[in-house]
Amino acid sequence: MTPLLETDVVVAGGGVTGVAVLRDLALRGVNAVLVERFDLGTGTSGRWHGLLHSGARYAVRDQESARECIEENTVLRRIAPHTVEDVGGLFVLLPGDDEAYAGKFVEGCQASGIPTEELSAAEARRREPLLAPDVKLAFAVPDGGIDSWALLRSMAADAEARGSRVLVRHPVVGVERDGDRITAVRVHDQVAGEDRLIGCQWVVNAAGAWAGEIGRMAGVPIRMIAGKGVMVVMASRYVRGVVNACRKPADGDIIVPQHQVAILGTTSVQVDSPDDIAVPPADVDRMIDMCAQMVPSIASGRVLRAFAGSRPLYQPESEDGGGGDTREVSRTFTVLDHAGRDGLGNMLSIVGGKLTTCRQMAEALVDRLAERMGVTEPCRTATEVLPGADHGPHRLAAPLAGVERDGAYGELICECELVTRGQVRAAIADGLTELEDLRRKLRLGYGPCQAAFCAWRAAGMLSEGSGGDHLGGLERFLEERWRGQRATIWGDQARQALLNHAIYRGIFDLRGAGRPDEAAAAGLPRAEPVGGG
Amino acid sequence: MRADVVVVGAGPAALATAVRLAEAGRQVRVIARGNGFTHWGAGAVDALGRLGGERVERPLEAVGRLPEDHPYRLAGEAALRDGLDWFARFAAAAGLAHAGDPDRNRDQVTALGVLRPTCLLPEPAAGPLSGRVAVVNFEGFRDFSPALCAAGLRGAGVDAVPASVPLPPWDHARYFTAVELARAIDDDDFRRRLAPGLARAAAGADVVVVPAVLGVRGGHAPWADLQRLVGTPLVEAATAPPSIPGLRLFAAYRRRLDALGVGWQFGFPAVGVERDGDRVTAVRSEGASREVVTHCQELVLATGGVAGHGIEANRDGTLAEVVAGLPVEGFPDRTAFLGERFLGEHPLGAAGVRVDAELRPMNASGSPVHANVRCVGGLLAGHDPTVEGSREGVALATATRTAELLAPTPTPAT
Repeated sequence: MTPLLETDVVVAGGGVTGVAVLRDLALRGVNAVLVERFDLGTGTSGRWHGLLHSGARYAVRDQESARECIEENTVLRRIAPHTVEDVGGLFVLLPGDDEAYAGKFVEGCQASGIPTEELSAAEARRREPLLAPDVKLAFAVPDGGIDSWALLRSMAADAEARGSRVLVRHPVVGVERDGDRITAVRVHDQVAGEDRLIGCQWVVNAAGAWAGEIGRMAGVPIRMIAGKGVMVVMASRYVRGVVNACRKPADGDIIVPQHQVAILGTTSVQVDSPDDIAVPPADVDRMIDMCAQMVPSIASGRVLRAFAGSRPLYQPESEDGGGGDTREVSRTFTVLDHAGRDGLGNMLSIVGGKLTTCRQMAEALVDRLAERMGVTEPCRTATEVLPGADHGPHRLAAPLAGVERDGAYGELICECELVTRGQVRAAIADGLTELEDLRRKLRLGYGPCQAAFCAWRAAGMLSEGSGGDHLGGLERFLEERWRGQRATIWGDQARQALLNHAIYRGIFDLRGAGRPDEAAAAGLPRAEPVGGG
Repeated sequence: MRADVVVVGAGPAALATAVRLAEAGRQVRVIARGNGFTHWGAGAVDALGRLGGERVERPLEAVGRLPEDHPYRLAGEAALRDGLDWFARFAAAAGLAHAGDPDRNRDQVTALGVLRPTCLLPEPAAGPLSGRVAVVNFEGFRDFSPALCAAGLRGAGVDAVPASVPLPPWDHARYFTAVELARAIDDDDFRRRLAPGLARAAAGADVVVVPAVLGVRGGHAPWADLQRLVGTPLVEAATAPPSIPGLRLFAAYRRRLDALGVGWQFGFPAVGVERDGDRVTAVRSEGASREVVTHCQELVLATGGVAGHGIEANRDGTLAEVVAGLPVEGFPDRTAFLGERFLGEHPLGAAGVRVDAELRPMNASGSPVHANVRCVGGLLAGHDPTVEGSREGVALATATRTAELLAPTPTPAT
């Protein structure tokens, strides 16, 4: 086996936590390499509802998490404004909801440092016209939306610019130990098809819901609980800001507007494996029916798709295990130093937590690691703004304003997501060769028409660059878009699906024959950008 | 309102049925929600392109291999042949001559360069791709990529190279669609200014493939004129919707219906029927200010399947026929609607109303629900028009059969 490279720290896991750790290390001048089994954000970081927490969801039951959230909410708005939709949020009280809970909610927010503003029913409906007419009152909180893909890209670009390395498609397959120390991490280079060693002084396990698996390879027990959450993507936004039910957290109590869509969330069910991301149709129905209590027009709305993610819940060994509803497990995070805990001298794990607190999690872990390494540089991630931050806060109307300014209507390749020919051309010039890559970079094909028109337009542009026919890539892209949709297709979306079938199979006579689905063959998961699904 | 026969729908089946019934002397009224598969199809007449996934070479011969409840088996092979012959005559008389032979499928070139099997092709799409082929786009038209089309054609064994030509200056809005470009090409002067560039791009080629946008109001005349000016055969490739050849055909049907005095209510869907015993006596439809009731002796439903809006697929897996509430077999739950592979087959695509040999909707025990209701086209169970490549053929065969069944009874000589 050939050594791949040598570094001070190997970070395992390419979600927001791992990438935040990598950036924190880079800002302190520590040489590090991040390894990820698939692509950045293919795990929980790309499979969630996109809520920038104010912390109010935890204000009654988990005030430690609530305080972490409001602190980081402020920090992220400062360092990564371009990833944030500053839309605010409401907690709405409906008939049948416990008014005593509303009292506890306000007290909890006050105790956690979360500003709230009580709104009359009329004022709440003025701010959110589609709210149920029978809403009793509402509380405004500083919730927002955050695009975790943009955040990941910015943090990774910043770390790489400072000398860190990111290796995607390099799953960890084992470690080399010498007594109580790990000397190297063994990864599988999926492109070359062989194992490689990365020699290192330290290992950071930031594998989130999969942290237990890294622990097993290193010989240390970490008890993770896979808490599956199902989310439903609606074809339009419905709400101006985030809408939450003002009650004990339950299924279908939150609506998050993201880009052109709204995401309904979520269930919370303990499952055996974090790779269990199946979407039961009954869960989709429940999300819609529950969220329609808050915003009735959702009941007759058009569903784009549904997806599931796995929360990285950590159950300390001292506490009793589980049972069904994983909402009772704390959303705070824990740094595990395996030296004292397990007699493994040079590995730390970061477990639990949530996207909103990813930077704080990284800070806590790297503080501990720096102390062990003898690095004295302080953490600077809360003040150093990320690349792209000069664009200011993300606004829904910005892409349309850009198209207006440039008179680029005729240049739209994807009308649903306002992706222009210039953007596609630039992405191709950057080296993207697959429609799937264009989708993740540009949101091409995310909208209500589900790539009916943009997929073959974009395939044409790829063809102009390469001279190839790209029919195999087009077929793979269409099949990839199809996966996981079947639980959400009825009504208008059924008509759309059959129209798309009439275009691609009927008019263009694509049948997928003789063009193997390489992504499926390689066992790669489908990545779900926020708001995408 | 009152009519002998109300035809609900405006797709290929509705249009053909309305014209054939009116030609046979019935007083017909059309009620339609909006455009149908003239606009969303490939702009050709598919009879039977594939069977069991394999390409069909002789569509009429293959009809006998279809299941007994397939619309072709119910309408009869003769109705299919007669429907295709009638269509060829109708289209030619309308200035939209088609090439092809009901007994043999042929290739239609598409924007992806894939050659799809079809039966009859409008003349602008019918030229053979022999020798050297130049695939040419009009600059700024985003729904056609000559590189992609040429690469696909090369994959199909055609010697094809991509090129593009600038459009002459023209008055269009901030962007233009296939329809606007086709309207520009309707203009004689525009074509004269376009032709030299197209001729340069065609230099050295035996055939030029272009997107199907060569005029819309002028039928096939703009294509013929531009071909003459360029001096090389021009072949229109099928693009994604809207289909310009489909728009030409739709306009021809409209002109014919107007000439036959057929009343037309467009943009207002039929929402229900009134009944007397086993007969439907009237159709209720939306109107500009209030519901409209149209009394009729016969009702023909040509509303399409799920894709065409004739059938609603419900969240609980049930299906509902939207006008008369006809029985439609649903599914245990919605996950059974669609197949695992997008480009594979989908049970929902073949969902529809089951009918008897006279195209009357049947209940579960196999007897007709209404004595005076017929179903035609995509609404019928037992076929998947997309997978089989049979949409226009089924429309024409069932329209033909319906016209036979509903032809006016000869008045006894006195």
